[in-house]
Amino acid sequence: MPAESFSLRRDPWFLFAAIVGGTLLLAATAGPFLAPYDPYDISFTVLEAPSAKHWLGVNDGGMDIFSELLTALRNTIMFGLLAGMAGTGLAVFAGVFSALRQGVTGLMLMRLADMLLAIPSIMPLVLLAALFQPPPSLMALALALFLWAGPSRLINAQARMLVTAPHILAARQMGGSLWYLLRRHLVPEIYPIALIVLASRLRAAMFMEASLAFLGLMDPARKSLGSMIGYGLKYYFLDIWSNWLLPPIVCLSLLIMSATLLAMRMEKRMDPRLQNLS
Amino acid sequence: MRLFTRMTWMPALSAYLLTALALVYASFALPRLLPGDAFIAMYGGGHVAMEAQEEAKIRASARYNAASESFTQYLGRLGRLDWGTSTAYETPVFGLIMHALPWTLLLMGTAHLLSLGLGFILGVEAAWRYDSVPDRLLTSVMTFLEGIPELGSGVLLLLVFALWLGWFPAAGGETVYSGLSPWERTLDILHHLVLPLATLVLAYLPGNALLSRAAMLMTLRQPFMLTAAAKGLPPWRRRYAHAARCALLPVVTRLGLRLAGMLTGVLVVESIHSYPGLGTLLFQAVSLRDLPLISGIALFSSLGVLTVALTLERTYQYLDPRLKQQRVTLHAC
Amino acid sequence: MNRLFIKIGLIACACLLFASALGMAADTQTLAEVRIGDSKGDWGLPNPYHHYQRGPGYVRMSWIFDTLIWKDKNGEIPALASSWSYDPATHTYTFRLNPKAKWHDGKPVTSKDVAFTFAYFKKFPYSWAPVGYVQQVETPDDATAVVTLAKPFAPFLTNIAGTMPVLPRHIWEKVTDPKSFVEPEAFIGSGPYRFKDFNKTQGSYLFEAFDDYYLGRPLAKRVIYIRTGKPLASLSTGQIDVSNIQPDMAEPLQKKGLTIISDSYGWNKKLMINHRKAPLNDKRFRQALAWAIDRQELIDKAHRGFGAPASLGLLPTDHPMYNPATPAYPHSTAKAREILESLGYVKGADGFYAKDGNPLQLETLSSSLTVGGEQTPDRDGEILKKQLEEAGIRINLVQLESSTTDARVVKWDFDLAVSGHGGLAGDPIALNDYIRPDVAPSFVNGARYGDNAELLALLEAHVKEMDPAKRKELVFRIQEIYATDLPAISLYYPDSRAAYNPAKGIRWFFTQGGISGRGVPIPQNKMALVAR
Repeated sequence: MPAESFSLRRDPWFLFAAIVGGTLLLAATAGPFLAPYDPYDISFTVLEAPSAKHWLGVNDGGMDIFSELLTALRNTIMFGLLAGMAGTGLAVFAGVFSALRQGVTGLMLMRLADMLLAIPSIMPLVLLAALFQPPPSLMALALALFLWAGPSRLINAQARMLVTAPHILAARQMGGSLWYLLRRHLVPEIYPIALIVLASRLRAAMFMEASLAFLGLMDPARKSLGSMIGYGLKYYFLDIWSNWLLPPIVCLSLLIMSATLLAMRMEKRMDPRLQNLS
Repeated sequence: MRLFTRMTWMPALSAYLLTALALVYASFALPRLLPGDAFIAMYGGGHVAMEAQEEAKIRASARYNAASESFTQYLGRLGRLDWGTSTAYETPVFGLIMHALPWTLLLMGTAHLLSLGLGFILGVEAAWRYDSVPDRLLTSVMTFLEGIPELGSGVLLLLVFALWLGWFPAAGGETVYSGLSPWERTLDILHHLVLPLATLVLAYLPGNALLSRAAMLMTLRQPFMLTAAAKGLPPWRRRYAHAARCALLPVVTRLGLRLAGMLTGVLVVESIHSYPGLGTLLFQAVSLRDLPLISGIALFSSLGVLTVALTLERTYQYLDPRLKQQRVTLHAC
Repeated sequence: MNRLFIKIGLIACACLLFASALGMAADTQTLAEVRIGDSKGDWGLPNPYHHYQRGPGYVRMSWIFDTLIWKDKNGEIPALASSWSYDPATHTYTFRLNPKAKWHDGKPVTSKDVAFTFAYFKKFPYSWAPVGYVQQVETPDDATAVVTLAKPFAPFLTNIAGTMPVLPRHIWEKVTDPKSFVEPEAFIGSGPYRFKDFNKTQGSYLFEAFDDYYLGRPLAKRVIYIRTGKPLASLSTGQIDVSNIQPDMAEPLQKKGLTIISDSYGWNKKLMINHRKAPLNDKRFRQALAWAIDRQELIDKAHRGFGAPASLGLLPTDHPMYNPATPAYPHSTAKAREILESLGYVKGADGFYAKDGNPLQLETLSSSLTVGGEQTPDRDGEILKKQLEEAGIRINLVQLESSTTDARVVKWDFDLAVSGHGGLAGDPIALNDYIRPDVAPSFVNGARYGDNAELLALLEAHVKEMDPAKRKELVFRIQEIYATDLPAISLYYPDSRAAYNPAKGIRWFFTQGGISGRGVPIPQNKMALVAR
């Protein structure tokens, strides 16, 4: 059977995700320069339909929706990146560590994860928002403290399975140190899962941010894809679905979609077992 | 280095008990940090003003002094299985939770079961037909769907099916006081359930399908599958009785993780579709600063999730015999 | 568990009722049910000691409990009292009761119930009907109640006789703790509807017609309150028959054949000011704020033009005792700057003012309402910020949950706060609550202003002034002083609209001056459902 070679560069899904993700990232970074108006400028005619002057029209507060969208995109992406990466890092560390050290420390770590999982995360987040009105970056880090708990169990389960695998035992037999095991076996074998975890944490963080904003729990003055949807939904009886509701929904979906795709395709690339399937 | 510890009963149980205690404390302490108080939430912004001494009397009443309860008193109360009385609704917290819980369970339970079952089967079948047109189609569709958050799909479903077409109700769990027969009532509830359910299933299904497919693909590579084929077992039996069982582990794990995020996830869907479950109740409790109710919901859901986690832990051991047997085998998965 | 059985039992009863309603001779006059939509849903159990303090809570109670006098769409009508008279010499009101009035359990309503109610509310105060002034109530016979006041009380007929629900003596005389009395007997009243069920979590109420109602037969067999966050959708699909709506929804609903009604101004958006703290303790500074604010822009931005600028004297412009000569502050940024400069503020290079090196900065609280179902993101805060910053005052806008904002206002931990309230269409005694400093601390909508002795004296005086012309003069003067001192700045009145389905044959209306003497501005007057 001929071995299939798999190149990310020629994978249509990966390209799609990379292009979409890249465009959104670019749009977000260049947001302040691309936006035709100041997103907080309330001097325009309220609820004006889309026109050449206002590509997506004007919202109920007199602000240009397109400029709002760019700012919201930027905010959501930054929040997601910060929370997602921090959460993934913590999850991998906790999961692998507790699989290796299956004594008291490992146990306690997993129990801590359980405890964090069992607390409805919305409560501490509401507290944070209400008590401290923290900057979004702090909220993102606080969110990461809850995000790591879920995947750490998954990583722990996988790591435990791996650790009992014969080739690991053999390596141990032959005198492999902990570091060697990590570098040569565990990390490459955990890597795909970690990527999926990153995608899921990114996705979860951006979803959380949008949901919190939609429910009115984040600073309403801060632009967010979620709050745009929330405000827009109030005017469901007017003809605003195409210019006010749809753009943030589409942007949010594309963001999450590209994050997922990138990770999935990378996983396929990295895992040699998945490559040679006949 | 020891690779793993024997999971004997006692350490595991005591670990869980410790967690449970920590949860109880968290459910006690955290709501008390919320600024504002139940009295203001109830009486502030009222249409008419009271006299100052009347207010002082009400403020001093037991109803509005839940915050002054100490942790030991809280523990004692729980020990007697008294979940307390809601400050805002003046009824036992347990009763309120029991009223809202069935709705959330109905929604979440059906959504999880549907998306798990359907997703698993779809994933297994896709993996079996790896790299064919159906597989590629399924993967594409699932990947696409996974990118759409509950927020987006919920709003879109609401707009299209409830607000424009009017096929489904825009709010509520059932038509209140309708006087319908039990059968009609069931239909009515299902009618109201469709949109929130669809939103959640659309959100959970793709993940389950893709993960099942990935796990299945890995399992199919295992030598024992070749053995099963050589033995002449029919394809479906090879798929389900042999391979799928091993692929089930990560999917079940994922289910456990999802259940944990229950409240937050469901809150958005309940909010969009105005569905009367625990999420909505918690939301109301938070804005009314109803400490007993918040503590109650937090504790209830936390302990519930912990119980499920414990069950899942046992399920891992059942599904993956390696962990149970404490030795390595070349057979099984 | 009890509640579950009650619910099952009620559903069974409802089924039977429905079936029997169908079985009965087709009575075209009686509707099976009327459904009213509401965004919050839960307003507490409908009796005086349990309904929530806001208007909708009172209204739900009013379906069950009747008062001595009531209002229908044309004005005052007799209710439990068929006629009444006043003797100014002795400050005595004599009420002759309607002999046909009955309690829901069949017993007749007598003057002893009236006397008992006054005494009971004295012992266990009910904030909607403060009976402090009542000295004694005599009952020469079962149909006559003579109420003597300690001193003259101008709003007695509207705010006590027209607001106070009459309680059945035979039930409440044994109740020593009204707050914990929630048995079915606690909901026995003399109104057109009986209380059947209330579901807190679903936010729904069920009332059933009381066919022996003394003023006429109720037009609908059942009245149901449903919680819905989307009134337009619910009205269009027929899920509800009447609801308050946003003015923008009026057009699409009219096209669908629904009738739209609008209310007079009873609800205002208000800028609360912490007048105990510098620099806001200087009334000239507060006047500068009033000049700097462009009320029309707020209406145009936040309400697409559906509203009217508020009078700064607190009483709305269409109130019978509105003072047309109330000082107004037509928007002028220049005037605001002039005043600030006269107070010693110096404009910096960035256009913002500072005094002795301290920049002029105010923290403005804005509530984002997050009560389930009721989503009203507050744009006003952003617009106010812009307007005040144009006048050179730096604004730090803080958006918080409404309970958090309320808590801070109660503790005087704020500079400015954007809020709003109703109750302005009723008797001007409401002004007392919204101004005086000794009001209960939790009444966050009150300005709690005690710095002007003349104002406080007038507030006390107008309540005792029985001559309507003289009272009007006093109320005029109150508005004048209030608008000069500006302890809080009223911003605008949003247009209030409701829509109902005329096919059901019920003509809902907004009561003039609001429901009860406290002016509740919602169109759910029970008289719309009574055939008279």
